[in-house]
Amino acid sequence: MIETITSPIGFSSLLVFFAVGAIGSLLLQKDDKLANIWNNFFAILGSLSGIIFSVLVIITGHNLAFNFGSSSFSLLSFSFNIDMLSAFFIFAISLIALFCSVFGIGYIKHFYKKYNIGVLGFFYNLLIGSMILVVTASNGIFFLIAWEIMSVSSYFLVVYDSDERKNIKAGFLYLVMTYIGTSFIVFSFLLIYKYTNSFDFSVIKSNMALIPSSVKNIIFIFGIIGFGTKTGIIPFHIWLPAAHPAAPSHVSALMSGVMIKTGIYMLLRMALDILQPIPVWWGMVIIIIGSVSALLGVLYALTEHDIKKLLAYHSIENIGIILLGLGSAMVFFSLNMVPLALLSLIASLFHTLNHAVFKSLLFLSAGSVINEVHTKNMEEYGGLIKYMPQTAMFFLIGSMAISALPPFNGFFSEWLTFQSLFQGIAQLQSYSQMVFMLAAGSLAFTGGLALACFVKAFGAIFLARPRSEEVTQAKESDTFMRIGMGALALLSILFGLLSGYITILLEKVGRGFSIFNNSSSSVFISSHQVFNINNGFSSVAPFAIFIGIILTILLVIWIIKYNVNKNQKITISKTWDCGTALSPRMEITATGFTRSIILIFRGILKPSIQHDVEYHDAESRYLPKSRAVTLGVENVYNYYFYQPINKIINGLSLRIKNIQTGNINIYISYIFIALIISLFLIL
Amino acid sequence: MSILFLQFILEIMFLILVFLHISKKSSEVVWAYMFQSLALGIILFNSYLDSGSILLLVVVLLVLAIKVILAPLFFNRLIKKNALAFSVSTYINTPLTLIIISSLTFIAYSHKFFPLTNIIPGNHMLLALSLAVMFLSLFLIINRKGALSQIIGVLSFENSLIAFVVFAGLEQSAWLQIGILFDIFVWIIISTVFTNMIYEQFGSLNVTVMNKLKD
Repeated sequence: MIETITSPIGFSSLLVFFAVGAIGSLLLQKDDKLANIWNNFFAILGSLSGIIFSVLVIITGHNLAFNFGSSSFSLLSFSFNIDMLSAFFIFAISLIALFCSVFGIGYIKHFYKKYNIGVLGFFYNLLIGSMILVVTASNGIFFLIAWEIMSVSSYFLVVYDSDERKNIKAGFLYLVMTYIGTSFIVFSFLLIYKYTNSFDFSVIKSNMALIPSSVKNIIFIFGIIGFGTKTGIIPFHIWLPAAHPAAPSHVSALMSGVMIKTGIYMLLRMALDILQPIPVWWGMVIIIIGSVSALLGVLYALTEHDIKKLLAYHSIENIGIILLGLGSAMVFFSLNMVPLALLSLIASLFHTLNHAVFKSLLFLSAGSVINEVHTKNMEEYGGLIKYMPQTAMFFLIGSMAISALPPFNGFFSEWLTFQSLFQGIAQLQSYSQMVFMLAAGSLAFTGGLALACFVKAFGAIFLARPRSEEVTQAKESDTFMRIGMGALALLSILFGLLSGYITILLEKVGRGFSIFNNSSSSVFISSHQVFNINNGFSSVAPFAIFIGIILTILLVIWIIKYNVNKNQKITISKTWDCGTALSPRMEITATGFTRSIILIFRGILKPSIQHDVEYHDAESRYLPKSRAVTLGVENVYNYYFYQPINKIINGLSLRIKNIQTGNINIYISYIFIALIISLFLIL
Repeated sequence: MSILFLQFILEIMFLILVFLHISKKSSEVVWAYMFQSLALGIILFNSYLDSGSILLLVVVLLVLAIKVILAPLFFNRLIKKNALAFSVSTYINTPLTLIIISSLTFIAYSHKFFPLTNIIPGNHMLLALSLAVMFLSLFLIINRKGALSQIIGVLSFENSLIAFVVFAGLEQSAWLQIGILFDIFVWIIISTVFTNMIYEQFGSLNVTVMNKLKD
């Protein structure tokens, strides 16, 4: 049975589920309800198969390499290689897809009679299927085809809500950035092909010695730009805060939770598998990019009022944290500190999984709220805990997990990342030590700011009084939506409590890389589930923390209750309100909450304030009718990076435009001259 | 047929192309194309005699029907309908045109193109001449201002390409050639209709008048 599941048949059957889901929902597009059930049902089946398949592959350690059919085009081969790393990513994709699909059954209902549900289901299943193909392809061209299907299907999902003009704009930006990224990937693959004469990853790996180190460096840099664009590292992240809010929420969850991780997958594959051996500075570069992305990501998140944009910026932050683990692994391995490299890799993989879980949970909760309040602006929320208590609880769990609070999963992966950075500080020398020190500082800052950001988000959305009429009309979301969110919330706790077991499995995934085959372990788990790093360097006990927190909470509640109730006469009366009626205007807003933090970082964020005053009489300026204060943050990366590039490209385009004369003879002359030159060069 | 005879036929194709460059009458251009296609038909007939394939004979007959009969008929109708007795002028004057023709022929015969013209060593001269005809056809498209001459230039380029392929031994299956011929036939119809539309819109077949279409 296990052999059948972990065979090519088992793998292809899970892909068939997504294919049936995609085609079937298109065929059933005339019936919204049926199309919705069909597409999500098959997505759930495919995801479940994916989870079973990947878990069995990881447990049995059974690597799969096979081809589908034969291609007449010799460079293209439909070849798959499912090793531990691929299986891990199939697991992450399937897990998130499963709960997003369950959530989708309820969520999609609000699109009925408005948009084509069949089309949504088609691209949704296509996206999940293509992500699985991306992490299993073992041929460069086949990989690029899967990558393109993933990009195109996600583009159509981003522009799905086409009534909103800004969604179309966001989709266009996403498409442009995707193709810029893909062109760098194509170029790096072509460079590899030039020296190895193959697009097959295993052949490339064995012929790596044929690539000169200078060319390898170019491949690495192009890889960072190409895959980093999909991943959303700063400054290639600009599509992310635009596209995530545009897509339907369960798709945003999928995109932010796992799609952007396909870039991480390829960076891992390239750095730790295909391009080995690598120089130390590659890892350093990844650590620096990770630190900058983490810190800037969370800072920009702090300035956001749009709930989905805020979450999108947090994806950038968490990708930075994942890169800190990956970069450390690269540095340690290059310096022959293999056990520490394995530890860092585990931290990176664990955070990849954890981020997928809590970010999907947060996006789904946000979608649930937006569905009820019909706005993404947090300033118009407030007091939703009263109307949507379960959603509030799920969002709180997600917020605590992303803020790395124990005993939730985010804490343990960030703790592991910290440990690998601390090991670097303790064991490395000179500038390497400095880089690790700065990275640890950046991670500490990031953690604190993330906590502040989610205190703001939770407070503004769920606490205090409603700031709009819509909030008072809100009601708890659909059962399927709550099941989707609830399951992910449960996983956030379970992955924290079971982090010991998960670490053992992730170590197995890490050992799937040939470079870690014979490495000793830096992580030891005692029988009481206590993590021990590098023989007592540090340790943490998830269960003890959990019990301690529960006891502390109970104790605090008891003390408060005891003190409040002790011999006190309870008087219920109106709050003293300076003689005016209490209103939401008296509450601290999301903007007000973060203003002091923004001012501390004004050197980076460059905040701006704009006052608009309207007077009763245009001639006289004594009687103001209304005042508006607009707080903004300058787009530093736009101003210093994209605008200059745009200016250069526009200037060049205007010059090149001159060759367009409108005369057909001139155009044919160009072709003729190009032909003669080509022949001269080739012959 | 001897190689000398084939070379003679190819030289006729080449001379027809030189004539196309200096001719000023539209009807002469069409007749010249007809004779060039006839020459190509003879080259293909030689292939049939060598291989004895009936399918290749069908190709020859189709070439004759489409290129020698139908295409000139279409073009003549176009000339009559729009009263295009005289072909519009060239960008470059005749002496300079002849100098460029000589240069292109020299390039085709140059040592640099030897790998291309020596695919079959025995046919070196034929391949070099075919290449020259290709270059001159492209130059015809560039140099002529009239849409009709440009269409003839494209068709002449196609003729030279077939001649090159035949002498280089790169012929594909006869079915493929029939498919290509069908394609060309459709292209001739479309381009004739298109040319008609240009004339109706601009009152001339001079492509320079289409400058106003520029963005």
